[in-house]
Amino acid sequence: MIALKLLPQLVSLAGIVLVLGRAFAGHRLVVAVCCSVGYLAGVGGGWALVRSFPGNLAFEMIRGVVGASFLLVWCIAAVALYRSTGRGAAQPWGERLAASRLCAAGNALWASVIAGALCASGNAGAGLSSAALISFALAAVIAVCAAAAGEKLLPRSFTVSPAGMTVTVSALLLFSSSSSLRLDLFSPLTMKVMKFTHDFVHQFFESMLIPDHVFFTHTTWSYIGFLFSNGVGFWGALIIWLAPAFLVIAAHSLERLPPVAHIRQGAQRRKLVAAAVRSRRLRLVTPMIAVAICGGAVYQSRFPTVEYWDPKPLAVSANQTGEIVIPAKGEVDLEDGKLHKFLYKQGGREARFFILQTPSGALTVDLDACAICKPDGYGQAEGTVICYYCKTLIPLETVGKPGGCNPVPVPFVVKADGVHIDGLNLINTWGSTVQSTERVKGGGK
Amino acid sequence: MSRLLRIVYRIMESRALTPIVIGIFLLLYIGIAFFTEESLIVLIGLVKSNVILAAFFSLIPLNRLLRLVDEVKRYLAARRALRGEGIVTVSGLFDETVEVKANSDLAGVESRLVASGYATRLGEQSLAAWRGITLFPARALAIAASVCLFSGILLSLGGRTSTRGAVVEGAPLPVAEGSGGMVERIALEHAPGPIMAKSLSIAVASDSGSGPVRTFGLYPPGSYHGAFVYPRYLGIGLSYVLFAPDRPEPYESNAILNIYPPGKEDRKEVPQSPYSLMFSLERPDDGSDPYMTGRMTISCKLLKGDSVLASGSAPRGGEISGNGYRIVFQDIRRAVLTDFISDRGVIPIWAAGMMFMLAIVVWLPVRCLAPRRELLFVAENGVVRACSRAEGQRRKHAGVFHDALDAIETIHMKYVLK
Repeated sequence: MIALKLLPQLVSLAGIVLVLGRAFAGHRLVVAVCCSVGYLAGVGGGWALVRSFPGNLAFEMIRGVVGASFLLVWCIAAVALYRSTGRGAAQPWGERLAASRLCAAGNALWASVIAGALCASGNAGAGLSSAALISFALAAVIAVCAAAAGEKLLPRSFTVSPAGMTVTVSALLLFSSSSSLRLDLFSPLTMKVMKFTHDFVHQFFESMLIPDHVFFTHTTWSYIGFLFSNGVGFWGALIIWLAPAFLVIAAHSLERLPPVAHIRQGAQRRKLVAAAVRSRRLRLVTPMIAVAICGGAVYQSRFPTVEYWDPKPLAVSANQTGEIVIPAKGEVDLEDGKLHKFLYKQGGREARFFILQTPSGALTVDLDACAICKPDGYGQAEGTVICYYCKTLIPLETVGKPGGCNPVPVPFVVKADGVHIDGLNLINTWGSTVQSTERVKGGGK
Repeated sequence: MSRLLRIVYRIMESRALTPIVIGIFLLLYIGIAFFTEESLIVLIGLVKSNVILAAFFSLIPLNRLLRLVDEVKRYLAARRALRGEGIVTVSGLFDETVEVKANSDLAGVESRLVASGYATRLGEQSLAAWRGITLFPARALAIAASVCLFSGILLSLGGRTSTRGAVVEGAPLPVAEGSGGMVERIALEHAPGPIMAKSLSIAVASDSGSGPVRTFGLYPPGSYHGAFVYPRYLGIGLSYVLFAPDRPEPYESNAILNIYPPGKEDRKEVPQSPYSLMFSLERPDDGSDPYMTGRMTISCKLLKGDSVLASGSAPRGGEISGNGYRIVFQDIRRAVLTDFISDRGVIPIWAAGMMFMLAIVVWLPVRCLAPRRELLFVAENGVVRACSRAEGQRRKHAGVFHDALDAIETIHMKYVLK
């Protein structure tokens, strides 16, 4: 099972070596050595980081590095497009630097260290033994060697541009990170995009003095309403996610053909132009592969293979004073650190909630819904609960605190006989939360 | 000093400047997002309050303006060159420039270019050929639009002021200084259209009372005393009197209630008392809109803490009573909660929107159907300098260019062999 979990990481590493090996064809050995060393260092560093920092901090740090790399790739792709559409001359010093041994080593180390850290932190909960770790290190070195050997088998005409190399390596890292819930970047990105779009549209309407929704037709407002829906978060994030690869594709497609007007033999001119067109097409292959890999990362993020702890809600009822009393050690043990779901029905209305003991030892009672998304509920994974609707991970330490996609807290009292919750308050809180999220968000799964 | 100025000018007019500035603001936004959920609001606030950031942002409109100047210079230079007026001095004006040894007989080439569908102009030492429509107007319009857009944003960030007031029928228009003309009528009507479902008009008499009546609609909003009249929400102006057994004096109030559409509730506290009043607008049985018809009946509940002391509904002039309490509705009027916005950036942004649309409308068909392609041959001292430029259909145009160069050389070879 662990070997299966590690397989995508090794495939990513092999892909990185393959692409770097072709991009720095003159420095294959440097790339292979740096990738092996960097990967092992990354695994060691990531492992130490997760052991040293409690909670989500280590994961946040590693995710931050991947995010920063993605931002850098965005810049590189934008510069590539800018240069391909510009009238200015190429900068030979930049190209010389890009083809140097130093650059090859730097890129290989950068990519492999991150890949190693992602692998170590993504499998931090697997409890690998020393023997397994050594086996894994050996497997990584074998993967690097195999990829380096495989690269030589690729056709010579298959070239990788510096920009194409960067987006493909970045795509492989994103793919690697999206295989772990706590390292995934796509889900948080969708939430950020949704928030930005909401704020931007609101500001735009205010700035441009656009009237309130009561004056619009239903059809117009439903179009505008899309900008406030969860769909805009997904599609906006997808655009941002795939944009670097598409920018590089555009950059290669818009590259000007070499000047051939000085050649007086028509056949030679056509030959040169045809060669340039063929080379341009071949350089499009890697960014196109990057698009596919990024698509795979999105799929992993949307449909993770992780199994969540998601117990069936137990039906509870209120006593004569309208209080729901749940014993701490009754049908379920509320203090076992697991999420326990309950269902309360009253006069045709119902509310789903859960009780959980947080890592600090305190109990928390929350609705099985948040104030933003549709009430699809939460599941528990290692160190976090996840909102099934938007896939946002909420660290266990923050469950019980209101705001964002956190579960909506419900007032309760812990007495000797168990947890006491006001039934009417619970029903009303659920009603107002679910009504508002369904009204505002509209769409849904 | 002049060298330094030249460097500054080159940076200012660089194509890269705008993307770089936007990129830096994007990074700033991402940085802020780590600390707060309200990143955009915080970023706007920062630019408003920080002169350095505002100055940095102002590089964008300045850069776009210089790009516009550069675009116009290039266009004029290309036109001059095609007219055969002087040599090409602007670098990068043409996509490709090549020199071939040849005599100055360009007439033979002209006929080939005419056969390829190019218009030509043959001078003593030069031959110009062109085809299609230039994209310069669309490009210039788009750049000018970006100048307007970013200038508008900058002006809006720097000087927007907003005052909210309630515009009530029969009351003077609330303006920031002094008082405005009398609001004669507020009308909400159905406006069956593809975008707007309702129209709103606010008729205001002139300040002096003798001038023409001005009418303010929804969009685009009109301006009054230099401020845009931006209707936000519909409300009801209610003048009522509360008689309570434990209060010697009746309580009288003119309230603006945010109770439209019918069913929406608004609560008003009675100062220095335990009472509060909950109002809502009744939905007529015939399904009509009471704000439109003016037949407004208001439901009211008098509350003391959580207990209801009196409740009921009444139209203008009616009253509600119970348990010794009485609420008299002296007057009910239409009202519009309105923002009076002073913002010099709005009009440039509107203009930018229209210019962008016009630019796209021009650019798309021209680029697809008849992009501009130009050729220029200038003979000097036994050498022909050939220049080529295309805004689209480059491959086909390059073929014509190469054929023309081949023809020039063939003619030259024949001339040499003679």
